[in-house]
Amino acid sequence: MTNILDTGKTPTWCPGCGAFSVSAALKKSITQLNLEPKDVVICYDIGCSGNMSNILNVCAVETLHGRSVPVAVGIKSVRADLAVIAQAGDGGMLSEGLNHFVHAIQRDDNITLILNNNYVFGLTAGQKSSATPKGVKARAQQDTNKVEPISAVNIAVATGCRFIARIPSDNIKLLQETIERAIQFNGFALIEIIQPCKIWAKTFPQTEFVYLDEPMQNATELLDKENLAGLLYLKN
Amino acid sequence: MMNQKKELALKICGPAGSGVMQLGEVLSLALNKAGFYTLAYPEYPSVIRGGDNNIQIVISPNANLSPRKEIDILFALDETLLDAHRDEVKKDGFIFDGQTLGLDELGAVKENPIVKNTVAAGFIWKTLSQDLDILLAAIKESMDEKYVDLNLKAAQSGYNLESAKRLDLTSTKQNIFGATANEVFAKAIVKANCKYASIYPITPINSLLNFLSQTEIKMVTPEDEIFAVLSTIGASYAGVRSVTATSGAGFSLMSEAVGFSSMAEIPLVVILGQRSGPSSGMPTYTGQTDLNFAINPGHGEFEKIVLAPGDLKEAMSLSQEAFNMADKYQVPVIVLTDKYLSESRFSTSENLDKINIEIDRGRKYENDSDYRRYKLTKDGISPRAFPGETTFATNSYEHDEAGFAVDDIKTRNLMLEKRNRKLQKLSGGFEVFGNKGSDTILVGWGSTKNNILEYLKDNNKIKYIHVWQPWPFSDDLKNELLKAKKTIVIENNSSGQMANLIECNIGLKTEKILKDDGRPFFKEELAKLIDEKL
Repeated sequence: MTNILDTGKTPTWCPGCGAFSVSAALKKSITQLNLEPKDVVICYDIGCSGNMSNILNVCAVETLHGRSVPVAVGIKSVRADLAVIAQAGDGGMLSEGLNHFVHAIQRDDNITLILNNNYVFGLTAGQKSSATPKGVKARAQQDTNKVEPISAVNIAVATGCRFIARIPSDNIKLLQETIERAIQFNGFALIEIIQPCKIWAKTFPQTEFVYLDEPMQNATELLDKENLAGLLYLKN
Repeated sequence: MMNQKKELALKICGPAGSGVMQLGEVLSLALNKAGFYTLAYPEYPSVIRGGDNNIQIVISPNANLSPRKEIDILFALDETLLDAHRDEVKKDGFIFDGQTLGLDELGAVKENPIVKNTVAAGFIWKTLSQDLDILLAAIKESMDEKYVDLNLKAAQSGYNLESAKRLDLTSTKQNIFGATANEVFAKAIVKANCKYASIYPITPINSLLNFLSQTEIKMVTPEDEIFAVLSTIGASYAGVRSVTATSGAGFSLMSEAVGFSSMAEIPLVVILGQRSGPSSGMPTYTGQTDLNFAINPGHGEFEKIVLAPGDLKEAMSLSQEAFNMADKYQVPVIVLTDKYLSESRFSTSENLDKINIEIDRGRKYENDSDYRRYKLTKDGISPRAFPGETTFATNSYEHDEAGFAVDDIKTRNLMLEKRNRKLQKLSGGFEVFGNKGSDTILVGWGSTKNNILEYLKDNNKIKYIHVWQPWPFSDDLKNELLKAKKTIVIENNSSGQMANLIECNIGLKTEKILKDDGRPFFKEELAKLIDEKL
């Protein structure tokens, strides 16, 4: 039976891409929350994961590169009745649109941010992004990456984000539960999804994730701990 | 000595922070109450303290005023600024300064130096031989309650000073209403039932923020103009009328989003306050240099409407109309203003509050089965749904009727043609003044309207076309322009952007009167430039 959350379009992702499980988790969360597709708005970034706009049957808004958050905030500001999610890649949110990320947290805008971090610019074929690990050589770069990656969680901690999660894309169950909590959360909720690009980041070092049983009491304990996963911090 | 004057130009100057602008505002308001038309044109540098702030007030029994190059009265709050403006004073004009008058020695000023500007207002009021009660009423109306008593006392003490030079002016005895275009824009935005404004501060739209902050509109002062325009688009997508405002500098950052609004067919209203560019330019001075930019605001080719109100009445009507047009055609609508129009205080005998344009939200979703957001229609306009009504896709990529991304030739061409059809029937967009039979025409757009109308008062033999909708450039406008033998285009820029638009669109050779020094056309200057061309 066709899920009402499916548009029937064929996904355009590579085999094994983390975006498949993210879309599965999103669908499950929307179903679990008994939300009707017409009451869910997802604002998409330009990028591989953003192409989910064609396959997930909700009110999809394909925006501009790095700009899904401003559009989502505008929508939520005038329509508290809608569940509003912004999707962005690491290129969109940590490179092009980083200012919106910081300021949306500062304002505690009431949206959920799904940040698909694949460590590279995927759709333009593998260039380094602000999240590319130090020391690796990304495609079409003259040298190895000399700089430390920007950590979405570090920035979220430093700017006072009250809902911070980091979840590897293959943990669909936890992803689904966390998305549900994020949608119900009253404030800005960050879910960074770790999904290293299967094509352009496959030689990059892998992270062994350690799951937290409970969110940290003190957000600053999350700083620079890039191997922590789960719902990392929650302040209602 | 009483000098009879039909009208006069008064200039007040002082350093930033000395209250020159407030003084100009109170005097203009009082003069309107006394039945005079006024134009208060401010000049100030981009500083908070020091420098030379000045405001010119033209006082007349006639409407349609423009600033003067030569002034009748100069009043310097600080005598160090006298030299900067002495040359502008007419031979029979008067010069006053705060020091010679001993303003600092007056009790009110000694008690609280911030009221020096109001003392000056009292003195000027005496010089203009006006009824003190009217000035006091204007102070009560325009000032914060807790400062009213202080200022009433100050005005009284300035009025009590002896002014050896007195003027006698002719009033209209009518009720005159004065405002800046920014104040009127704020009222129009509320009348249009706009509920959301996301605006990054920038000259010359800062006072619009002040006015909007006194309304119930949900206001955001975000991190940058990119957020401003995109959150405005977001609110509009969600079903609520919204607005952003900026200058050319901020509009540069908005350009990608303007194209998004057009491609995704989400209504957008942007108030674009032009100022003297390029780059940081002279940010507190005026210009009409962003017409080309408003017409071509981003990459790719897309539909948009550009409106250019020329006075308070049009600021009120066209900015309400802008919301209707945005909804009806589902395109970005850019309302051009400039520092001169947005920050000068103009006046009119019309009650602008009575201008109410009926709200038209355009074609709406009505429980259609098989709803497609970008349905192909004869006129290109597809019914619009809001989230919560039904599920639908909205897309910045080229898309099919349902909103899904596509790149096949057939759909691309169908959708491109659909969007291009939307504005084809837009007509008119201009108003004709003067001698309608004349084959010599003056053409202007936006804020030059009052200046050119004032010229026509003394020269009623020629025709003047005021263009209030520069884009789309309508067939009606084309036909009207083609009637002329000689076309003189008047613009506050150095390349002749409207002249070039006319030449490109209809191959009509025009003559240009241009000025891009940061100031509007002065009355004497414009008359001379036009007369030279005739």
